[in-house]
Amino acid sequence: MKAGENSRKLLALALIWAALLLAPYWMAPLGGYTALGTRVLVLALAAMSVNFLLGFTGVLSFGHAAYFGLGAYGAGFALKFLAPSTPLSLLCGTLLGGLAGALLGALIVRRRGVYFAMVTIAFGQVFYYIAFQWSSLTGGDDGLRGFSRQPLDFGLFSVDILSNTDAFYYFVLFCFAAAVAVMGLILRSPFGRSMIAIRENERRARFLGIPIERHIWIAFTLSCFFMGLAGALYALLNNFADPRGLHYSQSGDFVMMAVMGGMRNFWGPLLGAAVFVVLQDYLSSITVNWMSFVGMLFVAMVLFFPRGLLGVLARRSAA
Amino acid sequence: MPRPIGISKLTRRRLLEASAVAGALQIASPFIIKARAEAAIKIGMVDPLTGVYAAPAQNEVTGAKLAVDQINAKGGILGRQVELLVEDSANDVGTGVQKTRKLLERDQVSFIIGDVNSAVAQAIAQVTNEKKVLHIVSGGHTDTITGSDCKWNVYRVCNTTSMEANSISELLFHKYGKKWHFITPDYAFGHTLQQAASADLTKLGGTMTGNELTPLGTTDFSAYLIKARAANPDVILVLPQGGDMVNCLKQIVQFGLNKQIHVAGLQQELESLEAMPPEARVGVWMFEWYWKQPGVPGVDKFVADIRKVNGGKVPTARHWFGYTAAHTLAGVANQEKTLDSLTLAKALGNFELAPEIKLQPNKCYYRAGDHQLMTSAFVGEALSQGKDDPEDLFRVDEVIPGDKTAPPEDRTGCKLQWPA
Repeated sequence: MKAGENSRKLLALALIWAALLLAPYWMAPLGGYTALGTRVLVLALAAMSVNFLLGFTGVLSFGHAAYFGLGAYGAGFALKFLAPSTPLSLLCGTLLGGLAGALLGALIVRRRGVYFAMVTIAFGQVFYYIAFQWSSLTGGDDGLRGFSRQPLDFGLFSVDILSNTDAFYYFVLFCFAAAVAVMGLILRSPFGRSMIAIRENERRARFLGIPIERHIWIAFTLSCFFMGLAGALYALLNNFADPRGLHYSQSGDFVMMAVMGGMRNFWGPLLGAAVFVVLQDYLSSITVNWMSFVGMLFVAMVLFFPRGLLGVLARRSAA
Repeated sequence: MPRPIGISKLTRRRLLEASAVAGALQIASPFIIKARAEAAIKIGMVDPLTGVYAAPAQNEVTGAKLAVDQINAKGGILGRQVELLVEDSANDVGTGVQKTRKLLERDQVSFIIGDVNSAVAQAIAQVTNEKKVLHIVSGGHTDTITGSDCKWNVYRVCNTTSMEANSISELLFHKYGKKWHFITPDYAFGHTLQQAASADLTKLGGTMTGNELTPLGTTDFSAYLIKARAANPDVILVLPQGGDMVNCLKQIVQFGLNKQIHVAGLQQELESLEAMPPEARVGVWMFEWYWKQPGVPGVDKFVADIRKVNGGKVPTARHWFGYTAAHTLAGVANQEKTLDSLTLAKALGNFELAPEIKLQPNKCYYRAGDHQLMTSAFVGEALSQGKDDPEDLFRVDEVIPGDKTAPPEDRTGCKLQWPA
């Protein structure tokens, strides 16, 4: 039984990675295009960061777009004002998102439930309005532009990720894989187990001597670092950063992806993001009422499959 | 039973099912697209069909569709039929960029038109520039598109913010007075409008009695209006847009301010005037295009054609933008007998629009130095009720040619960099 489960797990992982690695080759014949795959990866990383908190620590942040947007602006500022280097921009974006999360997280973690969600929205909107109003630095409503992703220089050779969309896809996939590996390792560590203990029964975890606030703070901060990385990749994808990336409606999209895919499932948000992005891309070409369809699907998911798409698939095969 | 970590519960069957679902979603799309004619020349249009700009965006699409029908009736581009592929940018930069890539990479369109939102338009322009595809910005007004951020492959149909300010400033100054008070929405677009107008005012020798910065979404303008009245200006300039503008104008009328001070603004659109209650339709404004132009050739036919496809309603400036953008592409491609973007982009410099396309009395051409269309400004006054037609809500006093309102080419900050 144990051995069978393990091999199934490995097979599933192998299939996911094979699908992701070969995406540029199988997407085009099916009517997709590489840039769509890149967008799925970036938004999936963001949704997985939200899920890191929501699904594995049990606290719902509705302001995570703030750290996503900060990551985007961080990457944009680095490329525009510091140096034309893609790795540096990713580092700056991740740090800006993560450090802001670390600072604000310390103020937020004492709240629970709906109050936690409200405070995260409030802080998120603070950043939104800063980006919106500070036109001289951020370009305000017109967005931050005038930067573009730079070729990756490996000394012996360099990879052009600006005009070669496949190369950029693999670059994003590499970053995604690295982030997901770290996320997986954290969840398997004793710290990750304590996070799940907090999710399952906070009071009991407290009685066991787990410092709850510190754990939630660390989880929140880590999640913001991942979010910052996703935001930085998003800025590189669009060669643009705009205030809407910080808006709470964007946070709502991330939560939707996580819930649709299956929020207690590690890979759920990836599926959720894929469904969300592909559905949006496909339906919005057909009808202007595409949001109603995405909305109806979401309502149906929450009503009938509260564990999300992957949760349903998981339960069915377990039965 | 508590579930430790989700990964462990994946099985082959589940994964096959999941990939079948994902696959089905992917397969569903291409066949519809591929069912269309293979040989058609495709024009891609990206516009925010959902969100706050949905109404103007929809009108641009209607105008472009009419143009494409006319082009096809006359034999298309280079003898091939033209197909318009419309994508929704949802008023979001990321979505707009993705949709543009979809049109360019998957659908292989030859041209791009869009977007109403300036930020999205600039982000799209970066993509079309990277892909070297001719791109016409239909409705984003920010100066930088044909200014400091101008690109060899990007042309623009609608006015720049500076052109809008210049068109109305002189008239206001000479006709209504030299002391102005501004009500400005507190974000980038509002600041640009206000700076352009106050620069004109200083140049003309007038004075600004004050500038009230109002946050986006303000419903109560009374404090600002009281301050404005106390400053005793000749003209009060209302710069907020959309719902904010309606609230501000309604309160100006309630206060009776329009009886004491001249009310004016910069750009006004028929979409906005129609959405307003009659009592808020006051003030001196500029329209980028107006449907009632007695004696100008082609306008009546255009109005009749749009009425047919627009539920009986008259065209707005937005219809004309979409119409002109599509006709420009077909016109220049048929003139040069090629689809090569570089040749076409060079040919569009100083390209003059034919009378049945420009639909205005003055000469209308794309300026070679900054790729901006020199289109007229229709300056006049808003009317609370239409006289002959319920949609005739504006009285045009003056039609100012574009090269009078646009700043000189060397002052736009545009330095075009052509590919080698």
